[in-house]
Amino acid sequence: MKVAVVGCGGMGRVHAESYARMDGAELVGVCDIDGTAAGELAAITGARPYQSFERLLEETAPEAVSIALPSHLHKEYALKAAAAGKHVICEKPIALTLEDADAMIEACRAAGVSLFVGHVVRFFPEYEQLRRQLADGRIGVPGVVHAKRGGGHPAEAKSWFGDADKSGGVIVDMMIHDIDFVRWTLGEPKSVYALNKRDDRMDYALVTLEFRSGAAANLEGFWGYPGPFHYAAEFAGSEGVIRLDSTKAGSLTVRKAERAQAGGPVVEIPQSASALSPYDLELAHFLACLRDGSEPAVTAADAREALRISLAALESIRTGLTITL
Amino acid sequence: MKKLKVGLISFAHGHAFSYYASLRSLPEVEIVGIADESAERVRQLVERDGVPYFGDYRQLLAGDADAVVICAENVRHAELTIAAAQAGKHVLCEKPLGISVAEMEAMIAACRENGVQLMTAFPCRYLPAVAEAKAAIARGEIGEIVAVKGTNRGSNPGGWFVDRELSGGGAVLDHTVHVMDLINWMLGAKVSEVYAYAATRFGAAEIDDAGLVHVKFDTGAFAVIDTSWSRPRSFPTWGDVTMEIIGTDGVISVDGFAQKNEVYSDGDGKGTWSYWGDDMDELMIRDFVRALLDGAAVPVTGEDGLRSAEVALAAYESSKLGQPVSLA
Repeated sequence: MKVAVVGCGGMGRVHAESYARMDGAELVGVCDIDGTAAGELAAITGARPYQSFERLLEETAPEAVSIALPSHLHKEYALKAAAAGKHVICEKPIALTLEDADAMIEACRAAGVSLFVGHVVRFFPEYEQLRRQLADGRIGVPGVVHAKRGGGHPAEAKSWFGDADKSGGVIVDMMIHDIDFVRWTLGEPKSVYALNKRDDRMDYALVTLEFRSGAAANLEGFWGYPGPFHYAAEFAGSEGVIRLDSTKAGSLTVRKAERAQAGGPVVEIPQSASALSPYDLELAHFLACLRDGSEPAVTAADAREALRISLAALESIRTGLTITL
Repeated sequence: MKKLKVGLISFAHGHAFSYYASLRSLPEVEIVGIADESAERVRQLVERDGVPYFGDYRQLLAGDADAVVICAENVRHAELTIAAAQAGKHVLCEKPLGISVAEMEAMIAACRENGVQLMTAFPCRYLPAVAEAKAAIARGEIGEIVAVKGTNRGSNPGGWFVDRELSGGGAVLDHTVHVMDLINWMLGAKVSEVYAYAATRFGAAEIDDAGLVHVKFDTGAFAVIDTSWSRPRSFPTWGDVTMEIIGTDGVISVDGFAQKNEVYSDGDGKGTWSYWGDDMDELMIRDFVRALLDGAAVPVTGEDGLRSAEVALAAYESSKLGQPVSLA
């Protein structure tokens, strides 16, 4: 299947490299308004570089396009791709407003193309295992849940992250992973209450969701944490507890005597010694869905719902009140 | 050596056994009696150590004790504290200090009017990691405090703890107060608003055993505390006291009982965590005794107990309303 990637930043590179080594996928082009970024990613992956999305679509004729642009641009490019009859694989969040999300869903439906959104946490083996064991009743009925995710402020590398109109901030951009995960595991939330501190250097949020089942989850998101990217979750139920913690799952540690060169990846992505990364699993799953027409593990409707809950958290912060969903 | 004469009233709360052991280890303390309506509960101690026993606490208060340690059921704290104050005894009262703001104010007033000191038992201030975190904040190491995420999770203690008539509340009352006190102590700010989730999720019969208590401070800082009795029987330890303290210039992580060995014994049927750090109860009791002997102010006051318990009480109100409530 011929695929292309638009947006050659951190996530665009993850998508492009994954397609480049994936059986059954052919990365035909990568696109960025920054010609240098497109050129560098093209050199790594063997795809053709473009600065014009329209030319990429015309000349490389991909069947599907990965959109890895700043979030405020998701709608514009999803609509362009759909209009050209291309399937859309969009990074999360689906969009920054429900209106944009709905426009994307409607445009893809009308064009007869699929829309997938990269809620990749569902493809992390530790989260997937947790969900399976929860479903198997290993900890009884879930009661109180915690999930957290934090790291350096991404705006230090890419300034658009610091602009809430472009990224949505820590809740809409990052905590949305955990919002999607707890909704996947615990069902529909009925209310949300949120606390937040945001300034130039940090965006720290605590969001509590109460579910229709009676369970509750407290989610912590932190941009500007003075340490490495990390994530963790704990599900406490009537008959047990399951915990996962990225800081305790390091299967490989390499320590070099000399200080490594400065300038790591744009958005730090946890490294694990696995045959396939969660991104490989996710993108291969989306392409498999395109081939056999099956429903994806995470739908555009799921992505819209995660956005709706994230936006309700922002409303709770603004009003100081609990928001009923 | 001048000795402090101390009596203990009620061993209903199991912490009394630890406080008793700490008092016994101090040469400057003379234990003048144990009062407990349940003779059975304290029989072993009384017989082993030859401590005077009283079936009625009034007999103990009629004696020459300088101070009493009260570990009765929560609903009896006020009656016992006020009686002790009227008998001229200093009081160390188990947390939560009381089950209503009015009765806690009455306890504080009774002690003040009778010229005795009231201390709330908040041993977590004496966890070495907690004390060091407080010192680091005071030195300005992480700038201004922005937020705190804390946990004081535990196991269902059963017994009178799950009988509202004796406890006044479940996990939210039992487990809000420790970490709330630590946050109040570290921030030195006033709680302005409380929002809470309280529910029964872990098998307690008719009382809350799950809680998430959120507070906003007048400084703009905020915090959340998980108060749940959510540790299953298979968990390697009883529970935890943890805090993530977010500052403008850094983060402090406290895991109060991280000083532990991992023990895997077939006899236990599960792996366990065996704590080896300093004994917080012993450090707290020593401070209480020294303050009284020196005629100094006790390190934790009745007001401290009130300020954390009132958050738990507001949490119940918020949980019923489903909205935040302001704390006057």
